[in-house]
Amino acid sequence: MITIISKIELEGTDSLKYTDIGHTEDVDVINQINEDYDASLGSFLGKNKTKLEIGLVLLSAFFNNYEYVHEARTQVTTVEGLDFPKITNVNQI
Amino acid sequence: MSVATKGNQSTSNQTPANNFYQFAHNQNTGSNRLIVAQFTMSNSTSYTSATYGGVTMTRLYTINRSGLGQRMAFYYLVDPPTGSNTLRINFSSSQWNPVSIYARSFTNSGGIGNSLRSGGSATPHNASLTVSDDSLIMMTSCSVNAITSQQIPTGTNQSYTQHNTNRQVATGSISSNAGHSAGSISLRATSTFGDISLDRTEILGLGATPPSGENGNFFLVM
Repeated sequence: MITIISKIELEGTDSLKYTDIGHTEDVDVINQINEDYDASLGSFLGKNKTKLEIGLVLLSAFFNNYEYVHEARTQVTTVEGLDFPKITNVNQI
Repeated sequence: MSVATKGNQSTSNQTPANNFYQFAHNQNTGSNRLIVAQFTMSNSTSYTSATYGGVTMTRLYTINRSGLGQRMAFYYLVDPPTGSNTLRINFSSSQWNPVSIYARSFTNSGGIGNSLRSGGSATPHNASLTVSDDSLIMMTSCSVNAITSQQIPTGTNQSYTQHNTNRQVATGSISSNAGHSAGSISLRATSTFGDISLDRTEILGLGATPPSGENGNFFLVM
């Protein structure tokens, strides 16, 4: 399976926007992207889930400190028809 | 009669933080096409619809597993558009937990056959599904604990994708390419311990007889 790398940005004040920006089969690239996600947005969502559900915390609070983050948790058998590059080094994103 | 041809698959396990989630999936070319999608997520919100390439998919089932705090669903579309298209799932409100999504394409398929669902039961969870000649079976399970096998038929481990939705999910397991002979097929799902659910759906081969009505929920009476 090929892993798709998503760029995650704030949409409005309280929603996420996912954009596919590349694909990789490099386990080190996948792990680094997901470790960074888990330590940033993943941690924020986990800690604030209940408050986010009732509107006591907004996603914009996280994006005051981050313009965007990446995640690599979508997998496909083919990238045929998808117009984005193969990523071999995390510095390419 | 012939077994449906397995095509491309896509999986995703991201947090929508929105009232929809979408990603690209490539449907294989060929005749008698079928795309299916299995979903599992926290029951804090509900599935309202799914589309592929802008075409509304048919909902085979949605079920609230209140004991697991999860809502599971299965959507499909006969003769979907080919190539890379967007698969989109819509929710009744924003989903703040990770969603497990598994999509699979087929060609030479007669569509969806029998489908049964069994709620959490102590591992190993045994169940069965009656199928037509040359059918495939897809399975999915949910548990609080790590899932250790999806057996189609019982004794034959099939590969699956393991997702975390704040519960453990096994999705995408399917019969071997040869398919099954008509009759009752035994199935098994296992976890490290505790309860595990077992939902199963028949993918018909070409020229298969339509299902005999084995559809619906199965409740384990303790």
